[in-house]
Amino acid sequence: MKKTLVCLAAMTLGATLSWAPSVLSAELKAKPEQKYALLMSHMDNEFTIQLSGAVKDKAKELDAKLTVFDARNEIAKQISQVETAVTQGYTGILIEPVAVDGLGPALGAAKKAGIGVINLNQKVSDTSVIDSYVGANPVEGGQIEMEFIAKAIGGKGNVAFLLGPLGSDAQIGRTQGYENVLKNYPDIKVVYKQTANWRTDQALKLTENWLQTGTELAAVVSNNDDMALGAVKAAKDAQLIGKIKIAGLDAAPNALAAVKNGTMDATVSQNTIEQGLMGMEALVKLANGEKIEPVITVPHALITKENVAKFMK
Amino acid sequence: MMPPLLEMRGIAKSFNRNPVLDNVNLTVGRGEVHALMGENGAGKSTLMKILMGMLPADAGEIRLEGQLFSPHNPRDAMNHGLAMIHQELNPVLDMEVAENVFLGREIRRFGRGPFGVVNLGAMRQGCQELFDRFAIPLSPSARMRDLSVAQMQLVEIVKAISLSSKVVIMDEPTSAITEREVAILFRQIDALRAHGVSIIYISHKLDEIFQIADRISVMRDGVLVASDATSAFDRKTVIRHMVGREITNYIPKETVPIGDVVLEVRHLSWGQRVRDVSFSVRAGEILGIAGLVGAGRSETVETLFGIRPATSGEILIRGRPQPIHSPGAAIAHGLALVTEDRKMTGLNLLGTVEENISLAAIGRLARYGVIRKGQEHALAEDNIARLRIKTWSRDALVSSLSGGNQQKVVLAKWLVTQPDVIILDEPTRGIDVGAKRDIYLLIGELASQGKAVIVISSELIEIMGLADRILVMAEGQITGELGRDTFTQERIMEFATPTNEVRHV
Amino acid sequence: MSERRRGTYGRGQFFQDFGLILIFLAVVGVLVVLSPDAFARPANLIGIIKQASINGVLAMGMTFVIISGGIDLSVGSIVAFTGVVAASFAHPDEYPLALAIVAPMLLGALIGAVNGASVAYGGIPSFIVTLASMIVFRGAALITSDGSPVFGVSDAFEEIAGGFVAGYLPYLPIYFIVVAGLSAFVLKATVFGRRVYAIGGNATAAAVSGINVKATLTGVYMISGALAGLAGLLLASRTVSGSPTAGEGYELNAIAAVIIGGVSMTGGVGRWYGPVIGALLIAVIGNGLDILNVSSYYQLVIQGLIIYFAVLADIKGKAGR
Repeated sequence: MKKTLVCLAAMTLGATLSWAPSVLSAELKAKPEQKYALLMSHMDNEFTIQLSGAVKDKAKELDAKLTVFDARNEIAKQISQVETAVTQGYTGILIEPVAVDGLGPALGAAKKAGIGVINLNQKVSDTSVIDSYVGANPVEGGQIEMEFIAKAIGGKGNVAFLLGPLGSDAQIGRTQGYENVLKNYPDIKVVYKQTANWRTDQALKLTENWLQTGTELAAVVSNNDDMALGAVKAAKDAQLIGKIKIAGLDAAPNALAAVKNGTMDATVSQNTIEQGLMGMEALVKLANGEKIEPVITVPHALITKENVAKFMK
Repeated sequence: MMPPLLEMRGIAKSFNRNPVLDNVNLTVGRGEVHALMGENGAGKSTLMKILMGMLPADAGEIRLEGQLFSPHNPRDAMNHGLAMIHQELNPVLDMEVAENVFLGREIRRFGRGPFGVVNLGAMRQGCQELFDRFAIPLSPSARMRDLSVAQMQLVEIVKAISLSSKVVIMDEPTSAITEREVAILFRQIDALRAHGVSIIYISHKLDEIFQIADRISVMRDGVLVASDATSAFDRKTVIRHMVGREITNYIPKETVPIGDVVLEVRHLSWGQRVRDVSFSVRAGEILGIAGLVGAGRSETVETLFGIRPATSGEILIRGRPQPIHSPGAAIAHGLALVTEDRKMTGLNLLGTVEENISLAAIGRLARYGVIRKGQEHALAEDNIARLRIKTWSRDALVSSLSGGNQQKVVLAKWLVTQPDVIILDEPTRGIDVGAKRDIYLLIGELASQGKAVIVISSELIEIMGLADRILVMAEGQITGELGRDTFTQERIMEFATPTNEVRHV
Repeated sequence: MSERRRGTYGRGQFFQDFGLILIFLAVVGVLVVLSPDAFARPANLIGIIKQASINGVLAMGMTFVIISGGIDLSVGSIVAFTGVVAASFAHPDEYPLALAIVAPMLLGALIGAVNGASVAYGGIPSFIVTLASMIVFRGAALITSDGSPVFGVSDAFEEIAGGFVAGYLPYLPIYFIVVAGLSAFVLKATVFGRRVYAIGGNATAAAVSGINVKATLTGVYMISGALAGLAGLLLASRTVSGSPTAGEGYELNAIAAVIIGGVSMTGGVGRWYGPVIGALLIAVIGNGLDILNVSSYYQLVIQGLIIYFAVLADIKGKAGR
């Protein structure tokens, strides 16, 4: 159906973003005897699909043999996948972890076995077991999103936070970013802070209920785009589009469409594709004996109606 | 003077201000077999539940060997030397006999409580000693699953003995076993009596009571109406005490003109359990099928009714062969089957009286799939009145009725399908005398209406009283056929015994 | 045992028949007192029914299954799968709108038929059959959508669940009311409904009484599947997208509504209006807790406790004489 089109959009998006500082050395190629593993936390949302897609593209470009493992959001499964990669003699592991804790021993064993380990997107708590971390800083993302909203509502008013699953790192980091910004805006009051577990339907229900209380909301700030779209629907049903500012994070294609048609005010790209490309490149470099930085930060980008076209194509 | 072994005084109990026991005094002597009789709902089970600590009494006291005794739960009662063998046994089928005997108090090799290591050898040995003492021909290492109901009962008795019980309560112990097995049971009861154990024996079967009991107590409507030595009673007085009125002509039998053959079964087989069975039944005729438990009688009628898939054979309705592969087809051809176990296969115990009565004919009560409630109500009311079902409303849950009334509901369910052939499998099992009589009357009435009736029964008196003709089955085959003028208990038992020569004919 | 349905009333009997409604009214009363200006607003009350609707539709289907003595764990995944399919057919000017409406329900009914046939003819326990299809159709939803939400649906599609009668009364509750009404009629007044109760009460006795148990059971699971398809369509329309991860845990919410509604987990017993109130109660509590701004942590604890006590009250009510 229309999905191929979405994927295509994602790929072009990746291409557009390649202005980022990835020093594309023409001579960098993987050796034929090398094989690489990409360990994904799961494969069932826009973000993970973009990320793994970018890694696969880069692997193809570098002639690297790549196997993708899907842990289906189970930490135990991911641990055994790390162990499998070790016993199967992989050259390097690119891991997007299910959780920040718990992978230490398995990754430690991999490193001990001389396997290069690059940590993607979400940083594991014990960095001694990885060679490098490639990813965005969620606090930075949250700050960019909140800063936009704060300015959009003129530095005052009531705001509500739609949070990811409580205790997840993205939720903690992004929300921390919101709090950091709000220190500079004493007139902005956080009236609601609830989780909708990354889900549109839950965010829709929650926002509907908030709007019923009669408390006037100036903005809804969401930890991700799917939830922000739920808030958009609730605002639309209540004929409050434009009156309530809504921002999300992730630059998901449907959010980009909403930003474009003006129902959503902003989203923030964590440059997912760039993360994937740089992660794979760093891993091959590591395997070929080059030195790489222990932390490679991929910057976030704010997307609003003005620049959304550039991200959609 | 030595106090009696067990004495219950002034026991009273009410549910919802509805008295079920009123000032009951029951005394049981040492080494006595004490029959406790009464119709269902007379209060026997409630009294026994109080004795076993399953229910608290509202008033009264229990004395055991002169000591005041108030059990808080069955375990407590068991520790004081009381044991109850329930009508429906609940053994752990996948365990050995010895494990069942010692269930809950396993002999341990070392360790304590649930952490102990079970010493199976010692349990088997202990069990064997008990079997030897009472001459019970069972192996302690046999699987419980492989035993017959009667054998399981013996295991329960052994369990009671091993608890050094002083009083063993037996609730309808012969309801599911054959006459031959009853004899074995009675030998064990005699042995227990000789060892000074008292038995409270609950049963509806008068023959058994007069054979085994030393004393008889009769309850009616929560009151103990009679208690005396067996010699002080005869059958009529016991029945009079139970129902509060004389019952004459215990099994009525009127002569009905016999019509054409309605149902004919030719060479019907279902695996090894039903082997080449052929018979026919005529309009107005009552055909009895006798035999021991496990002879294949129920299996035969269930195969005939399409519940079990026939492996071979032919069924003819009014002379025309009809394929019957499901109960639905059987009903469409005018058959009805009152199954043996009303709780398992006869009733929806979660439904009301009305829902159960209309169940088999519900399609006929509907237009475009929508039930015509008015017709359904009328049908239910008619049948409640006709069969004298004791219920306060057609909306009462069928589970709130007594066994006899539940059985009448099953009968009503089949009568509303207006069958030509009615098959009744053990229609009076576990129900009281009054309801039994109503069912006998109904069977006679059905025959006089020109229906063909097939009755399976393990009670010889019953089947001989009802039937015009009796087929006897053993090991899945018909071993004999007797006309009303030729059947006697001895001849039926001869054919029913699997070692009989007839089966080789 | 003196269990009775109608007639002479003891105190326990009254509670058994009307306890659920009383609990519901008590919860509503407490919320009205705690939050008179926000909770009791008519717009909010309509909003609650709206929020109860999708779970309510699923709960009605689940009611048939549970009364028949089974369980259907696959409905959440069917919601996701049919939602993705609905959204895929709903891009503007691609397919007729009717296809986006009919396809999810047909697909749901088909999946239900396979579930039901496996239970009835295959003799596999419903828990296992529907657990398997729950996993399979979650996968199917991910495959069909390539793992990410399908968006860009037409305005007409959005109207299916998002529209308003006279600009005020939302459509969504109407679906729920119609489904509940039809379910009530089928359960109470039809031969099919009576057979479902009979099978749940005693499947052997039902079979001996000439009921085609296998066909009836297949029908029961088809109803549940078709209603899950309808719920998938409504959720896709309401969220303006078909998400492969949607509907996760919906089967448990539907089961909770049915159980709170006093339908026996062992089958054979249950009134049609029980699950309706169960679904409303769950929505009322969720709405009330959100309005009172109760932390998400506590919301989970409270919701769990309510299910626990509803079932406890039900069991105690039945055990009491």
